[in-house]
Amino acid sequence: MTIAIHGIGVGRSIAIGRAVVIVPSSAEVEHYFIEPAEVEDEIARVLRARDSAMQDAQLMLATLPKDAPSELPALLDVHMMLLQDEEIFSGVRYWIADRLYNAGWALSNQFERLARQFDEMEDPYLRERKADLEQVIERVISRLHVQQSQLESRQAAVRQSGDAQKSLSDDLEQDAPLVLTAHDLSPADMLHFRQSVFKGFVTDVGGKNSHTAIVARSMGIPAVVGARSASHLVHDDDWIVIDGDAGVILVNPPQMVIDEYRFRQRQDALDRSRLDRLLHTPAVTLDGQKVELLANIELPEDTQAALAAGAAGVGLFRRSEEHTSELQSH
Amino acid sequence: MIQQTITISNKLGLHARASAKLSKLAASFPCEVWLARGSRRINAKSIMGVMMLAAGLDAQVVLETSGEQEQEAMQAIADLFADKFGEGE
Repeated sequence: MTIAIHGIGVGRSIAIGRAVVIVPSSAEVEHYFIEPAEVEDEIARVLRARDSAMQDAQLMLATLPKDAPSELPALLDVHMMLLQDEEIFSGVRYWIADRLYNAGWALSNQFERLARQFDEMEDPYLRERKADLEQVIERVISRLHVQQSQLESRQAAVRQSGDAQKSLSDDLEQDAPLVLTAHDLSPADMLHFRQSVFKGFVTDVGGKNSHTAIVARSMGIPAVVGARSASHLVHDDDWIVIDGDAGVILVNPPQMVIDEYRFRQRQDALDRSRLDRLLHTPAVTLDGQKVELLANIELPEDTQAALAAGAAGVGLFRRSEEHTSELQSH
Repeated sequence: MIQQTITISNKLGLHARASAKLSKLAASFPCEVWLARGSRRINAKSIMGVMMLAAGLDAQVVLETSGEQEQEAMQAIADLFADKFGEGE
């Protein structure tokens, strides 16, 4: 079934690709891609966090007061079984090994997958068990954060190495292009994804000048922001068409529609290459008045794109807090 | 491989605590233990899988054991269902 979701379009172009969904409940979890060489370490991190959460639960069970309600040990027992559940952790392993998601992202993504199935259950009692799963996953994620401080320096190094992103795009290039769908993207997320493989962005919230919109524009890729419940309606691996011009995304459209958009994509590319020929034409008004064409940039690296577009200089250099602190640390 | 169809007879069905008992018992046997309901087939050693079956009172599930001690596993698990998971209702 095709779904059309309307929002605010960013960029004139079109993106077609498979969806990677960042779920709403995981807004406080960091999202970034790891290097293929880091997969084993990342899985080990999850297992260490899991073992640590397990110890907590065992300690809690051992020190329960005598007058504790009898449901409590039973509930802790269920939690401990969930912590050791193969179904859950083989999924987490998949997101890390095959998709190169970092540990927190893999955990929250796996939770959301299972939570969706709980939501569909008719039995209200079983449906409520989603909360147990959520608590268990959150425990593991919070344990991850404890480990995090030791890893902070290494991650910072990874984030700044363009090599990681390059090898990732090499890996994924053979597959379908990817588009990112999220409730909202934090400035930190946008920094991580800035040089990444995504060909388009969709967010539930945000306006013309949200972080997502600004960064998407600076990357020259289309986005639809303010698409309300897109992150709920879109599932991982759905085919998505992002029409930045119309501000519409199409979820799992028929092949005919995809072909039509591919045609428009080619037309756009053709139009752009025609415009490129005007690149070095002097900027002069009809009556011979010279004007200076300046480009607004987001990061110092954007100057390259600005120069390539024939800009005579920089107009606005927009810096957000995040960028400023990142820049100052160098 | 052996199979048996079981009708769930306890009031709450395969809720969390019953799922815990079932998956623990299944995990204590060396053979594979599968549980199917409709088109869904899950590993009965996984509490997550068992809960995901969302099998309530009067639901029909197919129990399948395969490998070492499949007979014993089948018997023990069928008994647990028949015993209404020790809940008495």
